Amino acid sequence: MQVEAYAGEEMVLNMGPQHPSTHGVLRLELETDGEIVRNVIPHIGYLHRCFEKHAEKVDYPGVIPFCDRMDYIASMNNSLGYALAVEKLMDLEVNERVKTLRVLMAELNRIASHLLSVGTYAMDIGSFTPFLHCFREREKILDLFEWLCGARLLYNYNWVGGVSHDIPDGFEAKTREFLGQFEPVIAELDKLLSYNKIFLERTANVGIISEEQALSHNVTGPNLRGSGIAWDLRREEPYCGYDTYDFEVPVGLGEYGPLGSCWDRYYVRVREMEQSLGLIRQALDRLPEGDVQEHIPRRVRPAKNEVYDRTETPRGELGYYVVSDGGLIPFRVKVKSPCFTVLSLLPAIARGGMVADIIAIIGSIDIVMGEIDR
Amino acid sequence: MKRYFKDIFQSIWTVLQGMKITGNHLFTRSCTLQYPSVKWELPERSRMRLFNKIEDCIGCGQCVRACPVDCIYMTTEKRAKQEPPLFAADGTPIKLRVTQFDIDMSLCCYCNLCTYPCPTHCLVMTPEYEFAVQSKQDFLYRFAKEEPQAPPKPAPTPRPAAAR
Repeated sequence: MQVEAYAGEEMVLNMGPQHPSTHGVLRLELETDGEIVRNVIPHIGYLHRCFEKHAEKVDYPGVIPFCDRMDYIASMNNSLGYALAVEKLMDLEVNERVKTLRVLMAELNRIASHLLSVGTYAMDIGSFTPFLHCFREREKILDLFEWLCGARLLYNYNWVGGVSHDIPDGFEAKTREFLGQFEPVIAELDKLLSYNKIFLERTANVGIISEEQALSHNVTGPNLRGSGIAWDLRREEPYCGYDTYDFEVPVGLGEYGPLGSCWDRYYVRVREMEQSLGLIRQALDRLPEGDVQEHIPRRVRPAKNEVYDRTETPRGELGYYVVSDGGLIPFRVKVKSPCFTVLSLLPAIARGGMVADIIAIIGSIDIVMGEIDR
Repeated sequence: MKRYFKDIFQSIWTVLQGMKITGNHLFTRSCTLQYPSVKWELPERSRMRLFNKIEDCIGCGQCVRACPVDCIYMTTEKRAKQEPPLFAADGTPIKLRVTQFDIDMSLCCYCNLCTYPCPTHCLVMTPEYEFAVQSKQDFLYRFAKEEPQAPPKPAPTPRPAAAR
């Protein structure tokens, strides 16, 4: 059917800032022709909290709570990136226990983040049950974190030179118990949602990001891997001893429809949860003895220097550019956010689709507005 | 035509499979809690409401410096030598009189950075989480009990502009 034959008058439609499926306060200006979207203009900045300016006002450890608040769904991964950057700035080497604990917490948080992403995506598409299943499992991880460091969402756990708390007694057994009961849940999720025909129809031919597009827009994380490129910083530039762990990098295969569709990105997340389970098991098995606060400096005062460090968060490549002028307060902290770069691709992939497809696309690229606006 | 019916059949079949999973969950234990009547016991490390045991506070001001959002306000004055010596619970001598120790709980970001440097461990985060109030002013917790005793310092006289 030729779409052009039915071209009529264009209408500008505002989606958001308060819209349940925009995952935060994102406003999309849609130029629509009936149901067909001619153009999408994202308007961001509704959640701007001056992270970078704040970082120039507080001392190095004081930035960590603000890092947590950027991507509030994966706080452990966010503060990990900052802590690693400052450690690199100070030439600080942490002991093996701290490294292992960081991997353990980062992977637990990755599962929690992907669960939320998958669950809300299912709800955007119109299936409510998987959302409840995912939130039930996420709750268990949050309980573990609360037991560990006292907070459920904003942990302030990864410090410069160590972590805030060692694991409590019985944490290991409880985590293993969670891993054991979580594995069948993924299989259940596959049955319930992944291969559901209606879900496939809504996602498998929608929002295709080609390999070239993904590379030229600097898309990272599961979105890039959904387009079939096996790039994972945990593998390419290992930090925290990720090179000693055994894990696979799942990529989209284009089993249903073209490669790089919404379904591929969704399915990469589901497979990544399985890999994270394996990583957590390995971390628990090897957990060495040691003092987790051994290397925490009394005063964080790096020499005059600058450093760029990047880590793999559940949403992609998060980079911190930290400049020190030799004082107690960072001179500049610049953040390279993965969600920001992938949002720039939204107009290119949404053009020509239906209005309902916009919701499927936004859900599949898994943006968190806290990280885009900072 | 064949594909049309195949799609319909697949849709119904996969939905039925999902319904089966949902049906099985009907007979499992519910994971929700009926909150106001049933309460959840929070772990020991829970970070909720800040509390300062003012009798042990030595007024060192390390918490004020550590706070990233500046929600702790502290004023101290020196205790006179003739006053009886005071000690915190762990034996640290208290040399300063804390005349103001206010925490604005509406600004607090619950990061726990203030409690770590406290030398006498008098500033703690408690697992108490039900502290909603009607007015924003009620979030300003005043912990200090003692009144300032030294006469307020006279305001410094401004120097003439020519002397600068």
